[in-house]
Amino acid sequence: MAEKYTPRSVQQGFRRGPGMMGAPIEKAENSKQTLLRLLAYFKPERKTVLLMSAAVLVSVLASVFAPSFQSQAIDKIVSAEYDLLPRILIIMIALYAVQGITTLLQGYISASLSQRIVSRLRTQLFDKIVRLPISYIDGHSHGDLISRMTNDADNISGIISSSLSSLFSGVLMLIGTTAMMLHYSVPLGLLSCSTVILTVFFTSFMSKHMRRYFVKRQELLGRLNGTVEEMVTNYRTIMAYNRQKQVIGDFSGTADQLTKTGIIAEIISNCMGPVMNMLSNVSFVIVSVFGAYFALKGYISVGVISAFIIYSKQFSRPINELAQLYGQIQTAIAGAERVFSILDTESEDFSGESTGEVRGIIDFKHVNFSYVEGKRIINDFTLHIESGKKIALVGSTGSGKTTVINLLMRFYEIDSGEILLDGRNIRDLALGELRDSIGIVLQDTKLFSDTVRANLAYAVSDAPQAEIEAAAHASYCDRVIAKLPEQYDTVIGQTGVTLSQGEQQLLAIGRAFLSYPRILILDEATSSVDTRTEQNIQNAMAALMKDRTSLIIAHRLSTIQDADQIIVMDQGSIVESGTHEELLARGGKYHELYMTQFAGQET
Amino acid sequence: MVFRYLKKYWLFAVLASAFMVLEVYVDLYQPRLMAEIVDNGILGLGNGGTPDLGIVKHTGLMMILIVLAGGVCGILSGVCTNVCSQNFGNDIRKDAFSRIMHFSFSQTDDFSVGSLITRTTGDVTQVQNMVSQMIRGCVRCGMFFVAGSIALVSLAADFGIVIGVALPLILAEIIFVVRRTTPLFSQLQHRLDRMNTVIQENVAGARVVKAFVQEEREAKRFGQSNGDLVDTQFRVLILMSYMRPIMNIVLNLATVAIIRIGALRVQDGGIQPGTVMAAVTYLSQILNGMMMLAMIFQTVTRGLTSAKRLREVLDAEPPIRDGSAAPEAHTGTVEFRDVSFRYPEQSADTLRHITLSVGAGETLAVIGETGCGKSSLVNLIPRFYDVTEGAVLVDGTDVRDFPLDDLRSRISFVLQKSELFSTTIRENILLGNSDASEEAIRTAAKAAQADDFIMQQHDGYDTRVTESGMSLSGGQRQRIAISRALVKPAEILILDDSTSALDFKTEAALQSALRTEYAHMTKIIIAQRISSVQHADRIAVLDNGAVAACGTHEELLQTCEVYREIYRSQLKKGAEQNG
Repeated sequence: MAEKYTPRSVQQGFRRGPGMMGAPIEKAENSKQTLLRLLAYFKPERKTVLLMSAAVLVSVLASVFAPSFQSQAIDKIVSAEYDLLPRILIIMIALYAVQGITTLLQGYISASLSQRIVSRLRTQLFDKIVRLPISYIDGHSHGDLISRMTNDADNISGIISSSLSSLFSGVLMLIGTTAMMLHYSVPLGLLSCSTVILTVFFTSFMSKHMRRYFVKRQELLGRLNGTVEEMVTNYRTIMAYNRQKQVIGDFSGTADQLTKTGIIAEIISNCMGPVMNMLSNVSFVIVSVFGAYFALKGYISVGVISAFIIYSKQFSRPINELAQLYGQIQTAIAGAERVFSILDTESEDFSGESTGEVRGIIDFKHVNFSYVEGKRIINDFTLHIESGKKIALVGSTGSGKTTVINLLMRFYEIDSGEILLDGRNIRDLALGELRDSIGIVLQDTKLFSDTVRANLAYAVSDAPQAEIEAAAHASYCDRVIAKLPEQYDTVIGQTGVTLSQGEQQLLAIGRAFLSYPRILILDEATSSVDTRTEQNIQNAMAALMKDRTSLIIAHRLSTIQDADQIIVMDQGSIVESGTHEELLARGGKYHELYMTQFAGQET
Repeated sequence: MVFRYLKKYWLFAVLASAFMVLEVYVDLYQPRLMAEIVDNGILGLGNGGTPDLGIVKHTGLMMILIVLAGGVCGILSGVCTNVCSQNFGNDIRKDAFSRIMHFSFSQTDDFSVGSLITRTTGDVTQVQNMVSQMIRGCVRCGMFFVAGSIALVSLAADFGIVIGVALPLILAEIIFVVRRTTPLFSQLQHRLDRMNTVIQENVAGARVVKAFVQEEREAKRFGQSNGDLVDTQFRVLILMSYMRPIMNIVLNLATVAIIRIGALRVQDGGIQPGTVMAAVTYLSQILNGMMMLAMIFQTVTRGLTSAKRLREVLDAEPPIRDGSAAPEAHTGTVEFRDVSFRYPEQSADTLRHITLSVGAGETLAVIGETGCGKSSLVNLIPRFYDVTEGAVLVDGTDVRDFPLDDLRSRISFVLQKSELFSTTIRENILLGNSDASEEAIRTAAKAAQADDFIMQQHDGYDTRVTESGMSLSGGQRQRIAISRALVKPAEILILDDSTSALDFKTEAALQSALRTEYAHMTKIIIAQRISSVQHADRIAVLDNGAVAACGTHEELLQTCEVYREIYRSQLKKGAEQNG
């Protein structure tokens, strides 16, 4: 049943809650695609990758050749040719130096490569997140979104930095060794390779199981993050209701599940090492048995077998390494999938015609809207707002007032009908310009952990101090700011800075005033502000918004009595409209609202 | 701290090490079998140069079996290590979370939400990795190292000199890198916190960002914190990347030295060439051990930084401590006795010498200007903060003498900002009293004027509230929060400006339900609207942290100028015309 209640936009995406806990059973196809997509991030780094491969190649060559000189040196000792020894030793030192330097280079390149790629990935992800439609953010766990940006992106970076060069050198060694083996003896070479096929078979078998657990682990980690985020943000309520035990119990449940999944995932990936080790030894025995047999038959010389033995040892090292990498790659892929699923969500479309000089005429024409299919929130809503007028929306809670604003701002898209600004459909307008022309103070105030000045000048970062102060004065937050330890330079959210809800609202109003928009929307913006301060703000606003359109949602009718037009909403439709006096005289819904508000006061 | 948590799983740690010893032993033993196959089987050294297929088959089979045993040991060691380290991490995670849930308001403010999230997730993973690396890696590299060194020195004492020179160099390198990276790691975690905060604010404040079209600005802000983070991460990686090649060079030079010294010895006739070969093999084993050590150090350094950050959370003492003397009687009286309050690290008092008392079943309303200290006042009752001077008494006892659970069980508090959880509406209400019957839930919701709209939802009370309740309007959220408070069997009800988003009609209905159905509860109501407070038994007008006046609506209209002003500001035109 829970599914029914997910907003439409969320249905394809990631959902949370019980019933969705089972890890999605995905095809290996997906994982291949994810890997390919991840690899695409290396494309712009082609040069660096090439440079790194060169470094890896040199260091692999050096580490292949050095041992042969080592054995030569020992041969010289055996044959007592001590004079030749220094020369060989010098070559060895040179080779080791080359190896050291190229390894260093490798480390440097892979570090910068991984950091560049992860930085790019994160930036891309963040750019996406700020452009996601509100409906997506409303419908998803914030903690989980954060987890994708941090844990999952980090996993990807980790694998790139720690294993990219080993992956490279491993593959190179593998190819080089195979080539050498085939060169010496095709049948023996093929036999050695048969274990590689066995390895591939085994790896793909394991990967199926591993993937499931790694995906599930990342999901649980996201959920855990979600819980922490939600509980830490809402912990005042938890404290007030003594619910610590219950909350901790829930958290422990998820944590235990995470641990269980994590243990299984890690154990499976840990198995890879020993199993690979075994396979490489099996390969050794196969080579020995068949080599000895071939030698007995006279197909190959004994010398070839000893060479093969060295190679099959060399073979096992990269395979071992690759096996160890496998687990990490699985985690990275599981993370990448979660990251890509956000990247694949459709962004808000910012393109459109320029709004030009906005006059502030707003038209709603037969607008219908529902957050959840089948449950209309806005019903055939038609409203014409003249430029420069002060319009008030009133109505009982849940009547759809905030939703109207959400639609005008295009936080949500309407189902049918149209909304016009200056006679043009807002869907055709550039989203950025549309929103730029509207200043809004929301029901739920959000300030950023930055200085007071930066918060006020949020929309106009180059505002001169005088203007900032004027806006602060008009919104009555100058008195609040004066009390702060460092006035305008106080960082909000810092230790010792405690702002009440009302004070935060005043700052938010200041922020909107400073942006000086063509259209100003106050959505219950002064609900926590005392009425005297509110009245003063109203007066300041009247002066500020002269000739500009303003839309005000308020429950206190005193706030909106002098509006040019009062719209009374009920169940998503307009039931009445007119001035305060007209509506009172009509004796309808507004009159009723008014009477309850002032009942008792007049006696 | 690490060992404290590890104690519980010592058996698994020991088992993991034991299995690891066996696995490494097989690793060390296996070359001998290989040599046997090569020397006696393939090269047929004991057979006059003809390969002996029998030896190859027989020894090969044995080798596979031994390797199999080694593999099983390896897997078992992995199982034990994971059981140990992950459970260890889980315990820390749970403890850290539970500690956070008992933090005071100011403690959470100090840490910031973003940092607390990183600590309970990322930092725990780091510490966990450290433990698993230590169990497996230390044993493994230790064995390679010890076995290799002993074998090497036993071959010829001179070789000991080579190791004696090489080891301090390597140790010096490790110490150097660890010293340089440790501060970088704490910087790294700090910057991670910072980035988390930016992300968190952007997700939570998406509407503001969009409304002001500040996507670019936020992207820039993020770009900066991302850049800082990447910068530090890069520096760490570079330092770490020195470790391996330098170690390599030192040890390879040691190999050269051993061959050189070995050559001289052989020339002297002191040792056989085969001994030099063996020495080189052992040295490569030592090298292997050292390489692993370098990896382990990387994890350990990072893990220690995280362990420190976790310790900060785990060792944070809650400044608000339990008392032990709760009064028997649950009457529901609240008294402020000459209370002054100042937020930590602020210079001015928020509340000054407040004396007020509320009798059982009485309703006290508090009204006053924004920032005058109304919320601060009621926050002192359930001890969200403690008074700086004076005392707050509940049921005649100083709140500081109560066990916290007991104190808070007597109080139903509706916060200014209604905090809903992303579960069902029913669960949200049940938070007030998990034993509440269906009937009790409905009764509370009806009184809170929430029942009607809840029943209109698709799944009624089982409708899910999405993140921060965004699918519900502000007024609906407030009413769910109030239902939650009403279902709680408490004597004292505190409404901290929590009806601000309700329309007047709804609020009037709520007020009248509170007066009749919840008459027994002592109520403290903070509000902005006169209509919300006028029916209260007494109204306290707060001005700049002090009580300006206290009395009934009528009394205050007569005597208190501030109250009259508030009253007038709300009547405005309407009253003049209709009054």
